[in-house]
Parts: sequence; structure tokens; C-alpha cells
Amino acid sequence: MPSQADIEAADRLSRRRARILPVLAVIFVAQQISYFAEPDTAMRAVDNVKIGAWLLLSVVLLLALATGGFWLKPRRVRALMDDDVTRANRAEAFRIGFLVTMTAAILLYFLSLFAPLSGREAIHALTTIGIATALLRFGYLERRDLKE
Amino acid sequence: MSERLGNRLRDLRAERELTQAALAELVGVSRKTINTVENGVFVPSTLLALKLARALGCPVEEVFFLAD
Repeated sequence: MPSQADIEAADRLSRRRARILPVLAVIFVAQQISYFAEPDTAMRAVDNVKIGAWLLLSVVLLLALATGGFWLKPRRVRALMDDDVTRANRAEAFRIGFLVTMTAAILLYFLSLFAPLSGREAIHALTTIGIATALLRFGYLERRDLKE
Repeated sequence: MSERLGNRLRDLRAERELTQAALAELVGVSRKTINTVENGVFVPSTLLALKLARALGCPVEEVFFLAD
């Protein structure tokens, strides 16, 4: 059985997670503005770094969303942070993320009939939209549930 | 069907002078879980409902009921 200290730690970390994830989503989207603002030119070394950073952040955020994050914390605390309510919130966040991504994919397909769009750009946009939407939704639901 | 699950968790907890954190410790869940069940935001699983009833020392139907 978890101790009072574990429950308090889980509560504190859950609040921190609920605050941090939406902020990370905004930073994640803001980071993409520079990518899409620049015209599609030949790849430079700096572009490789930028795309590498985006890919790394995408993987980290997706893993944090899927597993709850705080990987270095004790298993007991992480289990409390991944309770029934959190799992339901995560499922809802993924559901909304999927719906928004599919809607964006349909819109991008339609737009590509008028303006050329590379496969790479499309994947970049859809990944960003999907992850950011799920993060924002999860953060909102967690904050709502943590209110006294 | 517009039935929803009502509960007397807050009252029963208060009668036993338990905080949300104390009840969470007895059941082995997070305080957030207790909070969301109390507020009717989250419908608990059968397992959790039975654990809550056991921790409060009363039958599960005394804690949860069908509300129209």
C-alpha cells in the first residue's frame, strides 16, 4: 500500500505535470513557426539540427504523454500518478488528438490541391498538431480533476 | 437512459473524520481519484467502488446509488 508521503508526492508531481504539459505544447508549436516561416530551400546543416531537435522533442513529449513521465521517480509514486482517472484522461486526450489530426490531414489534402506541399511538411504539421492537441487536452483534464 | 452514479462519499468520509488524502491512503489510490469520484467527475470501476466501501466500513450501495 502507498504511504501518505507517496500520495503527497504523487499529488505534487501530478500538479506539476498538469502545469508543465500545456506549456510544453505551446513551446513545441512555437518552435515549428520558424520551420514553416522559412521558404522551402535546400537543406543546410542548421536545418538538420532544427529537425533533429523537433524529432527528439516529439518523441519525448509522446512518451511523456503515453507513460505519464517522471521516469526517475519511484515506481510506487508513478503508479499513483497513473491511476484510473489519469488513464481515462489520457485516453480522452489521445481521442481528441486523433480527431484533430485526421481533420487537419483532410484539410491539408484539400489545400495541397491548390498549393504544393511536400510529404515531409505534411508529416511535420500533422505530428505537431496531434501531439500538441493531446498535450493541451490532457493538461486541461488533469488541472480540472486536481481542483479541490 | 439518463441515469448517473451518485455517491455519498464526501459525507461518509466527513463522518469518519477522514481527509481525502487519508482515504486515498486507505484505498491505495491518489487524492485526485478520491476528489474526482466525490465530485461525480469520474465513475469508479467496480473494484475501486468496493475498495472505497470497505475502507469506509459500509456496504457499497450505501456509498453509491443510481441518481436520476
